[in-house]
Amino acid sequence: MVSASTTATPSLRFDRGSDNDVTLLFTRWQRERDPAAHEALVRRFMPLTRSLARRYDRSSEPFEDLLQVASVGLLKALDRYDAERGHSFASFAVPTILGEMRRYFRDCGWSVHVPRGDQERALKVRSAQETLTNEKGHAPTVNQLAVYLELDTEQVIDALQATEAYETMSLDAPRPGGEDEGTSFGDSIGHEDERYELVELDATIVAALEHVPARERSMLHMRFVEELTQTEIAARIGISQMQVSRLLRRSLDQLRALTRDSVSEVAR
Amino acid sequence: MPEPLPNVRLQLLNTPENVVLVRGMLMGLAEALRIGESDLNDIRTAVTEACNNVVLHAYSGDPGPMEVDVHIDSGTVTVLVRDSGSGIGTRREGAQAFADDAEESFDVSAVAPDYPPPGIGLHVIETLAHKVEFRRPPSGGTEVRMRFSLPVEALDPCSDERGLATLALSETPSTAMFSIAPLSLARTILPRLVCALAARAHFSTDRISDAQLLADALAAHAAGAISGGQLSVGVNVGPREIELHIAPLTSGAAQHLLEDFELDRLGSVVEKLTDRRHVATIGPYEALTLGLRDSR
Repeated sequence: MVSASTTATPSLRFDRGSDNDVTLLFTRWQRERDPAAHEALVRRFMPLTRSLARRYDRSSEPFEDLLQVASVGLLKALDRYDAERGHSFASFAVPTILGEMRRYFRDCGWSVHVPRGDQERALKVRSAQETLTNEKGHAPTVNQLAVYLELDTEQVIDALQATEAYETMSLDAPRPGGEDEGTSFGDSIGHEDERYELVELDATIVAALEHVPARERSMLHMRFVEELTQTEIAARIGISQMQVSRLLRRSLDQLRALTRDSVSEVAR
Repeated sequence: MPEPLPNVRLQLLNTPENVVLVRGMLMGLAEALRIGESDLNDIRTAVTEACNNVVLHAYSGDPGPMEVDVHIDSGTVTVLVRDSGSGIGTRREGAQAFADDAEESFDVSAVAPDYPPPGIGLHVIETLAHKVEFRRPPSGGTEVRMRFSLPVEALDPCSDERGLATLALSETPSTAMFSIAPLSLARTILPRLVCALAARAHFSTDRISDAQLLADALAAHAAGAISGGQLSVGVNVGPREIELHIAPLTSGAAQHLLEDFELDRLGSVVEKLTDRRHVATIGPYEALTLGLRDSR
């Protein structure tokens, strides 16, 4: 029999085999439950599975977890594939594997939880940034961070954005600097407020700055009046540049909202 | 009936780093529309596949335009990825090959270790998008139209073609061109795009953050100055330098826009963040150019 000679050496043939070999392996697995054929199929289609898992690698899940879920999809596809229908296995496997990954994302309630991978990565980027700033005497570039952390630049940019993530503050929102950020530099900079010189300005706008918490006001002053860099501000008040960035962004936003509100009130 | 103008249009070259830009745009979009992480991943993965096809195949390895449009309607987000590949060779190798894949199941023996076989991208798109169409616009090229069903509200699209033509209005060629409407979308999308481009210009994280503050300011204050309801920005990237061209602005609006950035006792935030500001008159419109350098 022709098949006899083929079955004798399945493990040598799986990776360079033709479609006929694949069909044969499927016959041996699906009809005879031959574990060697199963293993050969898994090894043959692992590169495809891996490449699909990699497409979700920018998600916040660790790649190993993604690969594991994709592999479950591959195993399901190996069982369900029907060669008689005339489609190639890969065209059947891709939707099955992707479907498995999507189900996984939905089941673990991704949108609800704070993505773990993102957070860890953001922390790593932040500490690398401090290390490199100390080494070089100025803030690093995204490329330098990527090389240092063995990430690609997109992952670093995403991590920067993750710490940047902020929500537009409403006036009723609690002032920033509660448990998570205030303690490191809170009281020490209160005296800086005295430096502010009131210039002739529309009273409504002056009032706006008064609503920004003192330390953010102080940071705004350092950046836009003293014209210090964010790194210099960070060093002066003992927080990271990423925190400076985030607080500046938020307080400017708040200031704009306050100004807009008071202007529209006056107009009314 | 003419097609409505998009909510977002990115005009880019078909480079891999510009695919990163498209993905950044989608993240900003998801933030504005409150699209969850898993839906965002589906969209991002499908759109990346479509863009990768333009990068790899549309122009047979040559540079060429890649255009991405987003339309937001009630219950759907539609993303179009368009190339203008033309000529027999390009069509056969790129656009045609992609369209042909739709009918053919691909060859399993093409599976190479760790490399996705051709045609996989199409299966990925078809699995992830709720509806996929391939079109050959009369103007040439290929358009992949992916529709995603999502719980989103319709948003006003651009109302004015002129904003989409910013590239033609600015003297210098742009690395990337964005048109975004309404401004609520620009608030989350523009900072991400500008941040990615500043990183490409080898800015330090310090200056990247400044670029982001500038993008925030633009998105927040542009309302009275823009024409057609959309914010259109062309960006040039040089070594440690980026340049933003904001156009078309209504006559007299550029100066007004600069003054609008004045915040309380801080002076003009934009003036402090930028190294160069220039207002040009282009016919009945104005263009505002803002230059940022990282001179560490």
